[in-house]
Amino acid sequence: MESQQEPEHLPSGPTEVVNSIRERTIAENSMVVLLQGLQGQVTTVDLKNESTARGRVVNVDAFMNIRLDNVLYRDRRGQLTQLQDLFITGRNVRYVHIPDNVDIMKTIQSQLARIHRVRNFASHGGGRKEFATKTK
Amino acid sequence: MHNDQPTTNTVEEPLDLIRLSLDERIYVKMRNDRELRGRLHAYDQHLNMILGDVEETVTTVEIDEETYEELYKSTKRNIPMLFVRGDGVVLVAPPLRVG
Repeated sequence: MESQQEPEHLPSGPTEVVNSIRERTIAENSMVVLLQGLQGQVTTVDLKNESTARGRVVNVDAFMNIRLDNVLYRDRRGQLTQLQDLFITGRNVRYVHIPDNVDIMKTIQSQLARIHRVRNFASHGGGRKEFATKTK
Repeated sequence: MHNDQPTTNTVEEPLDLIRLSLDERIYVKMRNDRELRGRLHAYDQHLNMILGDVEETVTTVEIDEETYEELYKSTKRNIPMLFVRGDGVVLVAPPLRVG
């Protein structure tokens, strides 16, 4: 049972960290953290059904589910549709195009720092520790 | 990768062989008759990968209605930086030498 609360002063919107410990741990141990760091950027997602969606990344969760807005969706025949909001299930993702201006290492490091800050804040404030501290 | 444990230098499991190819150009065979050639920047245990300077090749087979001949066509495109979801990856290898 999770008793941990997200601290109030963390900014909400594109910089927010997912609330679930389980999702944080899953994300932290895979490359999804890079996609999470793309929040706010405009990218193209190629789907497994041969269609593409170009839009602004609103959120990416640990399972690679992606929410985009202001989307230009091109189906496999090339037909274009404009969508205000699009949710893509992680299993349907084939590729995500990374914009040229993104520094991959910095993005991953800042995402991991964000995750660790939340974790450390919780344990420092007397909340439940996620992992037992190691004694060397 | 990016966890706190120090990376070892020995090859212990198949994923370590991919680690040897970090920052090198590699060849990736994917499902649906796709191939990627690019520089491996990062990967994880799911084989999610970040490839730079990627060339994607999609191969299709068209069958001539009359002669039933198989015509193999390939379409290529270049992408500067690509995140690849691991469940599409079939194999990872050093780039094939063109014979």
